[in-house]
Amino acid sequence: MSDLNGLMQHEVHLAALSFMGAAYILRIVWLLQFKKIEEMSLPAGTGNGAVLQSLLAVAKPWTMEGVRKNPAFYLQFIIFHLGAAAAIGLTFLIPYRPELLKETLFVESLQMVLGAAFIAGLFRLYRRIADRALRLISTPDDYFALITMTLFYALGIGAVSDNPAIVGEQSVLVFFLLAAFFHIYVPFSKIIHYLYYPFTRYYLGKMMEHRNIGREG
Amino acid sequence: MKAINNKSAGRCTSNPAPVEPGRIPELLHKKINRQTACSLAACVHCGTCARSCHYVLARPNDPFMTPAYKADQIRRIFNRHIDWLGRIFPRWIRAGIPRDEQDIQRLKDIVFGTCSGCRRCTFNCPMGVDNAALIRLARGILTEMGIIPEGMANVCRNQWESGNQMSVTEEEFRDTLDWIRCEVQYELKVDDLEIAVEKEGCDFIYAVNPREIKYDPSSFMNAAKVFYLAGESWTLPRYGWDLTNFGLFSGDDRLGAFMAKNLYQAAARLRAKRIVVSECGHGYRSVRWEGYNWAKYRQAIPTESVVETIDRYLREGRLNVDLLKNGTSVTFHDSCNVARYSGLLDEPRRILKQVCSDFREMHPNRLQNYCCTGGSGLLTMPEYRPLRLETAKIKADQLKATGAGIVCTMCHNCREGLGDLISHYRLDMQVVQIMDLVAEALVLPDRNMVDNCRAEIKQV
Repeated sequence: MSDLNGLMQHEVHLAALSFMGAAYILRIVWLLQFKKIEEMSLPAGTGNGAVLQSLLAVAKPWTMEGVRKNPAFYLQFIIFHLGAAAAIGLTFLIPYRPELLKETLFVESLQMVLGAAFIAGLFRLYRRIADRALRLISTPDDYFALITMTLFYALGIGAVSDNPAIVGEQSVLVFFLLAAFFHIYVPFSKIIHYLYYPFTRYYLGKMMEHRNIGREG
Repeated sequence: MKAINNKSAGRCTSNPAPVEPGRIPELLHKKINRQTACSLAACVHCGTCARSCHYVLARPNDPFMTPAYKADQIRRIFNRHIDWLGRIFPRWIRAGIPRDEQDIQRLKDIVFGTCSGCRRCTFNCPMGVDNAALIRLARGILTEMGIIPEGMANVCRNQWESGNQMSVTEEEFRDTLDWIRCEVQYELKVDDLEIAVEKEGCDFIYAVNPREIKYDPSSFMNAAKVFYLAGESWTLPRYGWDLTNFGLFSGDDRLGAFMAKNLYQAAARLRAKRIVVSECGHGYRSVRWEGYNWAKYRQAIPTESVVETIDRYLREGRLNVDLLKNGTSVTFHDSCNVARYSGLLDEPRRILKQVCSDFREMHPNRLQNYCCTGGSGLLTMPEYRPLRLETAKIKADQLKATGAGIVCTMCHNCREGLGDLISHYRLDMQVVQIMDLVAEALVLPDRNMVDNCRAEIKQV
């Protein structure tokens, strides 16, 4: 490993991660600065678990009409986000647990996930471009985030490959460069949505619980 | 935006103040809260919301109908003035504010004319983004700037000035109640039925939709009949009897607080043990939930819909009904404000199953039901009627598929909205409210039995 690669995998990666952590904390503080609606009405019922149900909504695709009508969209969503988890995991495995990447089965599994996520990313990009409504609401940030994430998955495949034709210093270096870029860019982009998810869902669920909406489960 | 007739959808003529787009950021800062900030920040533009919106379903090739696009109109302003990235690189996330009167008109047409605030997209959003709340936020900002459709502005003005949306005077109010009392007494052949106004210490005060006083007293007459037969002690306040609240539709929380407080204060003044509101979706939502928050008035006594009251009467055996009296097939339309905003799903169904011999569900129903398309004050904005009726095709198809002869709802607005689409799409269907069907199913006891029962209830 070259000095530059080592620097990217350790010092730069950790510095970028620290920046992202600090930015996340600031984001949460920023969000909590908005005044909360104080409920002055008496609650209906004694709690129906709507907060938990709301937080788990993403794991209950049948509750969303869009997914009921188009289950493939949910499958894409799952694969794409599994890819994100795998790629993020790789940024820690490569520098800190490289021995795991000597297991062929493990590496191949990772590559399969990343490959599937890459294809899902391409589908999502196509959908965003081809669908008039999506095109209308998409911002440059939406396209940029999707393209870079999809690229990140492709680089991830190369970064764990033992094929000398595609692996090597360069591929790992670019992968970590992109990872560092993400850590700095994410707090400002739409990719930060996973940080907002629990808040948005919690407040929606809280309102539903207070009003006893969704008793049917 | 081919759907909107911009010529007719003009600015509120009652407020000729100059348009000041520069005020928008200041008003946004004033009105935003944590819940709406979360919804503004969390949208990922996945487009899932589009599949649940009746505007999109009716106009699949019109991308401007996408809920996220409509919500983006206020999100752009939020991003430009509050979001970190948007303040530095606005173009990167398409942040910006309306620049001139034309932009403002466009914003007005989108938030007032292309969303009925039904919240169906919210319940189908993976992120839980409340687009309806964002539309209301945008409406509130425009209303404060005097940019509001004329029909809605007139109703708001009536509420501010007279305390009720149809400017019914106290004299007119009392006269109508007197007339209704005589009618119901005659119909029931009794002389001790009273419709008390401003009576202290009753079990509940009853708030109604001014439409019941001004144009269509049938539901109020039926309510008076039901309360009498149930041996209820009830009253109407002299002032503060209007349960409707155009603060909800216009996004004006101050009007919302004013109207709701009128009713809460009337209940306190009359020492009522509870507040009961007649069948009105937005009215129920405003009085039961939002009003307390707008008015910062801590709820002290139970507040319920008359549907819950009837449900209780039936459970307690205080009403005798015969379901065979309603032989026509009946389907139930869940009002958005009652179902998705308030969670009242089982009560109306329990009643209908006891008063109708052929009750059938429409599909989808309950939390997934489609809007009547007349929600969020759209019935007061004739300039948006063509688009409303076009999108009502989804509801019309849904109604038609039930094969029912009657569609029942527990909302005056839905009654009007459904009536409008039924006549537009020439459906062989009648719209009624729950109280109508309950009144039809009532089995009137003979006079002696009534006296005995009432004496018994009085003792209890």
